[in-house]
Amino acid sequence: MNETKKLVEIGNIVSNWELSADVNALVLECPDIVSVAKPGQFVMIKNEMGSTYLRRPFGVADVDKEQGLLLLIYRKAGKGTQELAQLDDGAPISVEGPLGNGFSFKNEGRTLLIGGGVGIAPIIYTARHLSKELDGPKPVILLGVRNHKELFWSDFVENFAEKLVYTTDDGSYGRKGFAIDAIPDILKEYPDIKHIKVCGPTIMMKGIAELAIKQGIECEVSLEKRMACGFGVCLGCTFEGKSGKRWKVCGDGPVFDAEEVFG
Amino acid sequence: MNLTRLATDFAGIRMATPVMGASGTFGFGVEYSDFLDLDQVGAIISKGLTPLPRAGNEGVRIAETPSGMLNCIGLENPGIDVFLRDILPKVRKEAPNTAFIANFSGSSVEDYGIMAEKLDVDGVDGIEVNISCPNVKEGGIVFGTDPKAAAAVTKEVKTHTSKPVIVKLSPNVTDITVMAKAVEEAGADALALINTLTGMVIDINTWKPLLGNVTGGLSGPAVKPIAVRMVYQVAQAVNIPILGLGGIATAEDAIEFLLAGASTVAVGAENFVHPDAVVRVAEGINAYLEKHNLSHVSELVGKVQIG
Repeated sequence: MNETKKLVEIGNIVSNWELSADVNALVLECPDIVSVAKPGQFVMIKNEMGSTYLRRPFGVADVDKEQGLLLLIYRKAGKGTQELAQLDDGAPISVEGPLGNGFSFKNEGRTLLIGGGVGIAPIIYTARHLSKELDGPKPVILLGVRNHKELFWSDFVENFAEKLVYTTDDGSYGRKGFAIDAIPDILKEYPDIKHIKVCGPTIMMKGIAELAIKQGIECEVSLEKRMACGFGVCLGCTFEGKSGKRWKVCGDGPVFDAEEVFG
Repeated sequence: MNLTRLATDFAGIRMATPVMGASGTFGFGVEYSDFLDLDQVGAIISKGLTPLPRAGNEGVRIAETPSGMLNCIGLENPGIDVFLRDILPKVRKEAPNTAFIANFSGSSVEDYGIMAEKLDVDGVDGIEVNISCPNVKEGGIVFGTDPKAAAAVTKEVKTHTSKPVIVKLSPNVTDITVMAKAVEEAGADALALINTLTGMVIDINTWKPLLGNVTGGLSGPAVKPIAVRMVYQVAQAVNIPILGLGGIATAEDAIEFLLAGASTVAVGAENFVHPDAVVRVAEGINAYLEKHNLSHVSELVGKVQIG
């Protein structure tokens, strides 16, 4: 469980810009939440001027603790995110967090970070944490995207990566296929990889989790489920793990051991 | 916040304020301790408890709707025994001064009696009988839409408890006053209304219902005018006190319920959006009383002027 005190903070928009036709980046000033947010945690945000009712969960993409800035990256998929994309600098956003447990870090071996789609967002902070805040080896980063128009992620992660590998659905950049297809070569090149952390679509995480379990590599997956609250009361996001225990994605996760989810 | 204007005795349950956290939206109360001072919460109304643990419904459980939300959680809860053994002691330790009301349902009249008896313990200040969950067969809705069955459940509960008994009514009936009167005659100490309204959302891309349970319960600001109307109608029909809820997001919303005839209110879905809402609403009521030179919140109850 997350033992940090949860807060609601009004975060003014510092910048809100387009990364691709359907993906935006948003920087909010919310120093109190940023000061305690850990890689893999999330926030629930609400545009108080918007027309949607519930908050929406967003993975913490990165933080600047000195300046108190929070980076979020979102796909303009529905009404709420489309309204969010229209907002100018200075607009107030209600931010609740930090929520959830975040990834765990052990001081042994190299980590392979894998992201798919907007699930790549939390990989940024996680990569920076591994390469700059911890002493261990830089992570290898594997990103699965649709096509060559989604290479904007490089700007966020390339400085933190020992190696950055892309797969694209259409082969327009990097290796054609799914992220999982690139893993055997990466493991061959980096036999010191001891951990895999994945955030992306369920189907992608399932395949990678199964591969990691088979190879005996520790694997954490970051889940996403519909939720109304984000702190364990609505019970919209619960599921039964392989152990038979019931978990809340919001409070017990969103990061889980791959064996408990897909084992 | 100075609470003297707000301290309320609701059917024998003493509360710091008349504003509670509604069942199913407030956990067991302690989940909110980061966001508000639990001493300023009128009462914690627990997540619905059942005789055995329930995993809840499969599939998507939450959907955003215009000014509200649908849910079909399906009464996921650890069961009455785990609640009494593990959760209640923790709640009483972390929120020793807040009234605690246990919400529960069963699948037979006998179940309700057994549950009431198990909940007749120290640390529980009152019980809320759920005969109105729209999402599970065992959630009591069969008792909540038939006045005879509702009366039978109420009588059974009353004979098995020393606690004040609040019966929570469903809005999914033709005439809610029929249900209210039946429950009052059967001995209920108070009524809570409304539970959620049954609704449905269809995904036009897949042509399938969005919710795993096909239908769900509608809550949030969208239901407020219906809830206020029902509280008003029931207040005309019964003499027992009413806990009004349904779409309360602000103090202004709560004051409407009080004027309509509720003597207490509960905040529901809004807790998900603004987790300090229960206390914020109480503060707003207090400010309103001060502004209107009223010495106590009870001076608003049922004061709507008609004609």
